[in-house]
Amino acid sequence: MKKLEEVLQDWEAVIGLEIHAELTTLETKMFCGCKLEFGADPNTHTCPVCLGLPGALPVPNKAAIESIVLAGLATNCDIEKRSMFYRKNYMYPDMAKNFQTTQGPVAFCMRGHLDLHVDGKAAGERIDLEGLEPGEQGSGTAANVTKTEDGYIAHVGITRIHMEEDAGKMVHVGGGEGRIAGATHSLVDYNRAGTPLIELVTEPELRTPEEARLFMQKLRQIYLAIGISDCSMEEGSLRCDGNVSLRRRGETKFGTKTELKNMNSFKNLHDGLAYEICRQAEVLEEGGIIYQETRHWDPSAKRTIVMRVKETADDYRLFPEPDLAPYDLTDEWIDSVRAKLPELPDQKVERFCESFGLSAYDARQLINDPQITAFFEECMGVAGADAAKLAKPVANLLINDVTAYLNANFGVALEDTPLSAGRAVELVKLIAEETISSKQGKEVFAAVMDEDKDPVAVVDERGMKQVSDTGAIEAVVDEVIAANPDEVARYKDGNTKVIGFFVGQCMKKMRGQGNPKLINQVLAQKLDQA
Amino acid sequence: MEFASMSVAEIQAGLAAKEFSAVEVAQQSVERVQAADAAVHAFLEVTPELALEAARKVDAAIAAGDLASCGALAGVPVAFKDNMNLTGTHTTCASHMLESYVSPYTATCVDRVLQAGGIPLGKLNMDEFAFGSTTESSAFGRTCNPWNLGCVPGGSSGGSAAAVAAGMATVTLGSDTGGSIRQPGSFCGVVAVKPTYGVVSRYGVVAFGSSLDQVGPFARNVRDAALTMNALAGRDPLDCTSQNVTTDFTANLEQGVAGMRIGVVPEFMNAEGLSAEVKDKINEALAKLEGMGAELVEVELPHVHSAISAYYVIAPCEAFSNLARFDSVRYGHCEAGHKDLGSQYEHSRSGGFGEEARRRIMLGSYLLSAGVYEKYYYPAQQVRTLITQDYQRAYEKVDCILAPAAPRTAFKFGEISEPAEMYLSDMYTISINIAGNGGMSMPIGLGADTGMPVGAQLITPAFKDENMLRVAAALEQVYGTAPVAPAFANGKVGE
Amino acid sequence: MTQHLSEKDVRRIAEYARIGLADDEVVPMMNTLNNIIDTLEPITQYDLEGVEPTFHPIGDLSNVMREDVEVPGFTQEEALSNAPKQQDGCFLIPSILGEGGDR
Repeated sequence: MKKLEEVLQDWEAVIGLEIHAELTTLETKMFCGCKLEFGADPNTHTCPVCLGLPGALPVPNKAAIESIVLAGLATNCDIEKRSMFYRKNYMYPDMAKNFQTTQGPVAFCMRGHLDLHVDGKAAGERIDLEGLEPGEQGSGTAANVTKTEDGYIAHVGITRIHMEEDAGKMVHVGGGEGRIAGATHSLVDYNRAGTPLIELVTEPELRTPEEARLFMQKLRQIYLAIGISDCSMEEGSLRCDGNVSLRRRGETKFGTKTELKNMNSFKNLHDGLAYEICRQAEVLEEGGIIYQETRHWDPSAKRTIVMRVKETADDYRLFPEPDLAPYDLTDEWIDSVRAKLPELPDQKVERFCESFGLSAYDARQLINDPQITAFFEECMGVAGADAAKLAKPVANLLINDVTAYLNANFGVALEDTPLSAGRAVELVKLIAEETISSKQGKEVFAAVMDEDKDPVAVVDERGMKQVSDTGAIEAVVDEVIAANPDEVARYKDGNTKVIGFFVGQCMKKMRGQGNPKLINQVLAQKLDQA
Repeated sequence: MEFASMSVAEIQAGLAAKEFSAVEVAQQSVERVQAADAAVHAFLEVTPELALEAARKVDAAIAAGDLASCGALAGVPVAFKDNMNLTGTHTTCASHMLESYVSPYTATCVDRVLQAGGIPLGKLNMDEFAFGSTTESSAFGRTCNPWNLGCVPGGSSGGSAAAVAAGMATVTLGSDTGGSIRQPGSFCGVVAVKPTYGVVSRYGVVAFGSSLDQVGPFARNVRDAALTMNALAGRDPLDCTSQNVTTDFTANLEQGVAGMRIGVVPEFMNAEGLSAEVKDKINEALAKLEGMGAELVEVELPHVHSAISAYYVIAPCEAFSNLARFDSVRYGHCEAGHKDLGSQYEHSRSGGFGEEARRRIMLGSYLLSAGVYEKYYYPAQQVRTLITQDYQRAYEKVDCILAPAAPRTAFKFGEISEPAEMYLSDMYTISINIAGNGGMSMPIGLGADTGMPVGAQLITPAFKDENMLRVAAALEQVYGTAPVAPAFANGKVGE
Repeated sequence: MTQHLSEKDVRRIAEYARIGLADDEVVPMMNTLNNIIDTLEPITQYDLEGVEPTFHPIGDLSNVMREDVEVPGFTQEEALSNAPKQQDGCFLIPSILGEGGDR
């Protein structure tokens, strides 16, 4: 199979996403007062309504409606004042009523969009931007794109966000790995049945797997910021299906699409879409045809497999739910929800850039994880007058060391680690003020995390202070130059890169405590004289 | 004593005077059911323990000198249509599908009657899932009309009407989707009220047509029905379509009809299929009301003849969806032993549902399918708007409409078998469910030809249910309260 | 009687509604349904341009909701009290295979 980059030279990928988010931050289910809780004993959070008992009637959760309106406002949607719930009728055992309560042609939120900032390598998947100047808007297939210095901004339309309810959970027994295939029977647990669920549908305006990944990531940041869901892709509270089709570059008609499921991480979303694009290209280039089918991404086998072929469009017998009164939202009510909107990720990025002089790239890195974002803000508070000066190193500490630490210690919350904002700022200051080298900083960071000590205490205990005494450094430099005449000769021949070698040797002799800036300075001076 | 033949007022006077206790009422009423129901088969389940438990509470309150605290129906023998959940009882909907189903919760309407002090005698027979007009489609045997055991009691709330007519309960509850309270009320000669949609909570009542279903009382006099309405009515946080109603439905029962404008609908009176004896009785009732000072006003309902068509689109669609939950997974009839779920579904559903239920599910599934929805379902809901507007315009001129409740009196078992013909027996009641306003059947004596009860249907504007009760009370002045059917009067059990 | 539905249609509808029909039940069901559908024709006769549908006969009632407050529900035993088959606190069903398996 060809590589994605190669495929995208000839083919344009058309991608649309359907993203489901469970409103996990609510107390109760969508249409009944049963508690929302992940991982409880089976069928312990049920009642006549969510078990679909005869005679039970639904009553919508007001907080869920507020949440979806909040989501709509945060994604630039129009809020439809008049909408209704519908019944989507099909029989499936995890759905107690055998219809799903969802919305019809008019959803609470319609016609939104998100702007995706695609930078650096990630921008490389897009090949229709050649010749565009920064600030210039593309045309044709790139009409929704604006070029930037190091990438582009894609304006991606959101068709709608509608309110619905989740189904129960099934365990398939007797088959391999809990699969439905080969199972002798299944067990149904309705604890999750009726969990408030919002489904966002994008326009088919995504063109690369990277854009899809960034869309999902940005949406997750927004949902986390407005606090409507824990957005856990592992636990399934944020789920994404992708619709993918290909067309030859220059073609305007859409190709046949496949629906891709089980992309339960950002990496899987990217890799699944990338595989599917390459697979379709191969089929088409060999003269084959793409069937409208549902496919499952298998991350371990790194391929997609067919789940179901759709011969005809599904006919779900949708009709307005007679048990639920229609909605007629007022401007006042919508405004009261709008007033609850917190600062959104884009606004935060802008503020971080303006207030602290961060690059937009760094600021966007910081807002990937809300606990990192909050920690950064706390650090800036602690830094006080030095905030602008320390912002970049604090950001680096968080984006690199802290993120690596959290990745290595999966499941640990930042607030449960020994790192406080005070300690972080202290550490960054030690480096900024050249008390320790940035290399020493790594060691101090590790010690803070392992031993739960203040950075200053670590530095004192270990005698780690950076040597910035020019006399001491000159002595070491002289020694190193004397011991390595060959390298000196190379330097003289114009190979200035060997200076790195000398710096390393000096640092080694000073057991890492030499001020690298000073060492560099002195070396350059002495080598030139040598 | 024949407690279940008494009125609410008589029972409560006796309790207050300590002539008898509520426990005696409960015990003797249960015995009465056990004796008389052999001939009628109105009951699917009798609940002696629940009756005693409720009676003891009433007696305790009387002993504490506080009968009033028990509620408006204290000590009154009541029974419920078997589509109403009551914790610990079977709720079968007269279907094999739910033959072994035991309710783990209680419907709001049932709860309110029990909170008002009612003594629950049991659960009442009906057409399977309320699909029918005769109670013949019950999976557990038909109910007989106490006035003539060879005749149908009407339906679908046939058991509820027959239990009251045979003196087995003072008050019963039924549900009405297209006439299922009013038509059996008419056939059995009892007061039968279908309130305005939204007056009574539907929570816990097994749904048939969700936008049409409404719960209401059967009784032998208007005051008992109105008292029950007081207990039932009002907003229920568990039913989004229930409304805040605080009307005292007994308040204007004595006001008479002088000055009231009573509507007469030519489309109804001249309809093909209206029997002469029913037409005569209706005209007689109109004349009596005029004699009492009411003004008779002719009103037009130009779209009402399409109500049956609209109904047979909307009701099966809602039923199809409402009955999808009966899938053998969580409850209900299950034909196990199939290797895949699809086969279990199909066998359990075709085995559990009777013919009419299957027919309506099929019809609904078809009418909601792509392309067909646009041809029938959507227009039916538009026609519904036109019918509603017809009534609204009529009520600019009148306070209440009087019409037949059914085109004829109760017919013999098996006399009508073709579904399309059967559906016509609801021709006078269906448009009221479509529009959502209130209607009731009031007994106005016996037909000259058949000697069977005739019901006058009183139809009120939405949320003016007190209007029809007021007119009914005036008719009661003329025709008397509804008697227990002769074969069951004075303790007789149908011989 | 108009032939609104063919035998094939009836089988397809039954399959969707999960109503098992024996071979000898199909034609009678088809005839009955076609008869009933005939009686629905008045609905198709009106000029309904501009007429709003009444899906909910509840007047101006709208925005009916509840607060996000927990209400006690069933115990596991109560939830399963009517289950035809159960195992490990769950409702037990036969193999789903052949059902499509997704949505």
